Amino acid sequence: MLDSIFNIDNGYLEGLVRGFKNGILKQTDYLNLVQCETLDDLKLHLQSTDYGNFLANEASPLQVSVIDDKLRDKLVTEFQHLRNHAVEPLATFLDYITYGYMIDNIVLLITGALHQRPISELMPKCHPLGTFEQIEAINVASTSSELYNAVLVDTPLADFFGECVSEQDLDELNIEIIRNTLYKAYLESFYSYCKSLGGTTADVMCEILAFEADRRAFIITLNSFGTELTNEDRKKLYPQCGKLYPDGLAALARADDPENVKQVAEFYTEYRALFEGAGNNPGEKTLEDKFFEHEVKLNVNAFLHQFHFGVFYAYLKLKEQECRNIVWIAECIAQKHRAKIDNYIPIL
Amino acid sequence: MGSLFRSEEMALCQLFLQSESAYTCVSELGELGLVQFRDLNPDVNAFQRKFVNEVRRCDEMERKLRYLEREIRKDGIPVLDTGENPEAPMPREMIDLEATFEKLENELKEVNSNAEALKRNYLELTELKHILKKTQAFFDEREGSLEAGGQTSLTQNLLPEDSKGPIQLGFVAGVILRERIPAFERMLWRACRGNVFLRQAIIEDPLEDPVTGEQVYKSVFIIFFQGDQLKMRVKKICEGFRATMYPCPEAPADRREMAMGVKTRLDDLNTVLSQTQDHRHRVLVSAARNIRAWMMKVWKIKSIYYTLNMFNLDVIQNGLIAECWIPVANLEDVQLALRRGTEKSGSLPAILNRLNTVEAPPTFHRTNKFTKAFQALIDSYGVATYREINPAPYTIITFPFLFAVMFGDLGHGIIMALFGAWMVWREKPLSAKKTDNEIWNIFFGGRYIILLMGLFSMYTGFIYNDVFSKALNIFGSAWHVRSYNESTIMSNKELTLNPGDVQQYDQYPYPFGLDPMWQISSNKINYYNSYKMKISIIFGIIHMLFGVILSVWNYKFFNKQISIYCEFIPQILFLSCLFVYLVLLVFHKWVWYGAGGDVSVSPSCAPSILITFINMVLMKGYENRPDDDCSPYMYAGQFGFQRFLVVVAVICVPWMLFAKPFLIHRNNKRKQMMVQANGGEGVVEEGGETSTVPHEEHDMSEIMIHQGIHTIEYVLGSVSHTASYLRLWALSLAHAQLSEVLWSMVLSIGLTSGSDGGGGGVVMYFIFAAWASLTIAILVLMEGLSAFLHTLRLHWVEFQSKFYSGSGYAFVPFAFETILDQAENAIVET
Repeated sequence: MLDSIFNIDNGYLEGLVRGFKNGILKQTDYLNLVQCETLDDLKLHLQSTDYGNFLANEASPLQVSVIDDKLRDKLVTEFQHLRNHAVEPLATFLDYITYGYMIDNIVLLITGALHQRPISELMPKCHPLGTFEQIEAINVASTSSELYNAVLVDTPLADFFGECVSEQDLDELNIEIIRNTLYKAYLESFYSYCKSLGGTTADVMCEILAFEADRRAFIITLNSFGTELTNEDRKKLYPQCGKLYPDGLAALARADDPENVKQVAEFYTEYRALFEGAGNNPGEKTLEDKFFEHEVKLNVNAFLHQFHFGVFYAYLKLKEQECRNIVWIAECIAQKHRAKIDNYIPIL
Repeated sequence: MGSLFRSEEMALCQLFLQSESAYTCVSELGELGLVQFRDLNPDVNAFQRKFVNEVRRCDEMERKLRYLEREIRKDGIPVLDTGENPEAPMPREMIDLEATFEKLENELKEVNSNAEALKRNYLELTELKHILKKTQAFFDEREGSLEAGGQTSLTQNLLPEDSKGPIQLGFVAGVILRERIPAFERMLWRACRGNVFLRQAIIEDPLEDPVTGEQVYKSVFIIFFQGDQLKMRVKKICEGFRATMYPCPEAPADRREMAMGVKTRLDDLNTVLSQTQDHRHRVLVSAARNIRAWMMKVWKIKSIYYTLNMFNLDVIQNGLIAECWIPVANLEDVQLALRRGTEKSGSLPAILNRLNTVEAPPTFHRTNKFTKAFQALIDSYGVATYREINPAPYTIITFPFLFAVMFGDLGHGIIMALFGAWMVWREKPLSAKKTDNEIWNIFFGGRYIILLMGLFSMYTGFIYNDVFSKALNIFGSAWHVRSYNESTIMSNKELTLNPGDVQQYDQYPYPFGLDPMWQISSNKINYYNSYKMKISIIFGIIHMLFGVILSVWNYKFFNKQISIYCEFIPQILFLSCLFVYLVLLVFHKWVWYGAGGDVSVSPSCAPSILITFINMVLMKGYENRPDDDCSPYMYAGQFGFQRFLVVVAVICVPWMLFAKPFLIHRNNKRKQMMVQANGGEGVVEEGGETSTVPHEEHDMSEIMIHQGIHTIEYVLGSVSHTASYLRLWALSLAHAQLSEVLWSMVLSIGLTSGSDGGGGGVVMYFIFAAWASLTIAILVLMEGLSAFLHTLRLHWVEFQSKFYSGSGYAFVPFAFETILDQAENAIVET
């Protein structure tokens, strides 16, 4: 795409998203938030940031869940605004972002249905970006082929579902496999879509998505130890658009314990650093946090380029991280458990 | 009295407030609105300040009031705005207020939840009623088809061919949102593999959603199926699409009975509902009467505590210490307000101390409704540095004048002046009508500017003798065609009039403005251009010269003698030697050359001023050709005098560039020598010297660069700024031409059409509408805007760059008035 004509369609939205990005909390804000004694203090401080009066109509005492909901509502409103003003190909790009949430929602609902939870109780837990018309009727399905034929065939996820149609009944493991297969197909499709857009978008997004794919591969492997998932089946779940593909993934497929995974990561400079600093002891950061930090770094870097769609994705992810941070701090304050309050992931 | 010449003198004061009286004192100061408090604890978080709990309580009250207001607005009850301004209540009244709001909120919440439950009930019953009514048709159809035994009905196909008698089909009836029907139907088909039969009917009237209160459109559906498994499935899908299902008895008699029951229950519910609504209405109406005053009270309390949070705590004396900027002229008022505040709370008096400070005080211009708009024009460029010359008073005249030079048309001026006058005349009612229409607010805010611009445009319109591109012949033109006989006049398209001829020109000019004859002459453009070009330059140079002269008052006031000698004098010399001389040449040419005199001063001999000026700067002389009667010089000794002026101007440049840095350097050196001479010798001295010298060097280079930029800016600026004033001519020309085009291309068509007697009036009716709207839209609005912007630029850049630095910050006093305005606007926006 020619950079010079980018602004015709997307200039306004890019400007908007960069403005939104400037409202992301800074280190000083976090330092202030960490000092809060109660959730009302937190609210007072958030009022002085870009969040403004988003909690003004909530009666005290505040609940962490209320804060969480409001944070998410605000982000969703912003994203919907961007989506409503977007034209092709940005519109498709933004839709692609929502598919990930759809997968999560479907899995959440099916799991809930398995545990005999009413759907009305589960719906509020679904991410609003990932809803679609038929979502609430999802518990009609008892096998994955039914799921496909009855519910998903009309949704954008139908394309990703091809590999996991089977007549087996849905159970815990099955659902996990469906989630990961869907996610794999989704990531690969998103990756190739970004590639096809070309230009800076491809450069920035492929970098981020490749990391996302590799992270999934690592986490699938680590979580599979001690379950009945065979190495063969596991291999099928690895998204093949990351930097680990193909050698790293092959090695991961052979891995039998966490040490093996670490050895695989040794071959990749950026992942080696992540694995080296990670640990579960107090004072050390968990691997998950390390991954999050790396993701934040990639997303912040996306803002260093201009005229590309990556900023929209990066903004959403950064903001999600920020919501997680605020909720973490709020939880720590609410539970009077201040020892770990500093374990948020700063967005620089 | 406040004067606009310089900003008000400000004093930094320290306030010692007793903790009992602090609240009332700040409240009084807020009503007064003349004090700007400084935040004395900027490092402290918002939630660690002293009165954070009070602020939070106010937030809570505000939330409750907002909730009340939303409910009031939902019911469309008018909120009474009496315009009264309640005083900030005492802190102890806060508890009462809180209790009142709490009670109201709870009452309202209870009413609402009751109403919601009732409404849900009502909705369900209405839906059931619709189902019973609509499904009747479906059942009739089925039975009809069964009785007929024909193959016409679709339901028939669902039944197995070999069945004996009708198989009992199960069915589910319910109500669903209309927009979800397509997806619902598709899903049913897919999930049940086409083994169900769906009928639907639209409910025409919108139903009210009990939670949001919105009107939604719904449809009745009924699904026929066979077997329990399908039933489960259908029910699940119905739940998934948020369809509400209702039991619907199979037998027609039961249905009828049920419909009757539903109807009576609906009637009962209706009465209960209306009673609940009445109660709610009563509560809200009584709240609506007070809500404005409550809001104001809460805002005031909140702003007071917010201000108190900026104060320092005096631990020893159990008081609060505040620092604030106060206009010196108002110190007395502030003292009085403080006394009132302490009297109210009955504690020890507050103490006001004036502090000495090196900090730059805020800039405060006391404006009235007339000067406010002009001050705003200046402030939007940059708020004046504390106590520097304020260009606003001069702008009051120069701004409309320069605008009018560009906009010179009597007709358009009258329109603009009338509009401005109307806004001024209807000032009170118009300003009371608060609106968030930005364009209107801009126009209304600048009503006095618009009025003045209109009046000045009328004046220049007279001078240009231009009314909608036509001329007014009030005093009788000085040009005549008496000397030509009638046939000459009739047969010639153009006639040349000789100003030297007494028969053709009266030898004295038209008494006021330009002669109307020029409007119809064919060399009108040449004449106007020459005239307007010259007056633009003249006005421009006078304007700039005035700006440079104003800088003297700044230098004098800030005690910068050195700048007068090293900047002001060379600047004014430079400007005078080149550009003021140019203006003098213009006048000389106007006075000296003309028709009817000696040959050497005849129009054909008049030298071009532009060429003369260029040659002057290039120091080029002319050869006096003997065969020519005309002299290339306008007066004797012109060449030598011009050469002298250019030399002076050139000398001014290094004067501006080097004199000031040199003098500063010398002064510094002298000071250093003094220090060295007076101070003893030793380690300290050496150490001091080594540290000061590089610092000195750095300072000098900075001064040098600064001076260089300043000089280049001025020298180049005086050339480019002079040229920039030519926009006066350019815009004026464009305006006159555009209005002439509009006349000749639009209105004159209407005036000439129908000269043969048919329908001219009708054509004119439409043509005039077109002409009038184009005149307003293009000539008055668009051209007015463009002329306005160019005038603004001439003031900001060409005029103010000569003396105005505009690097101050505005005085923002703590005033309830502005705080309430802002809060109210925020409410209007949401």
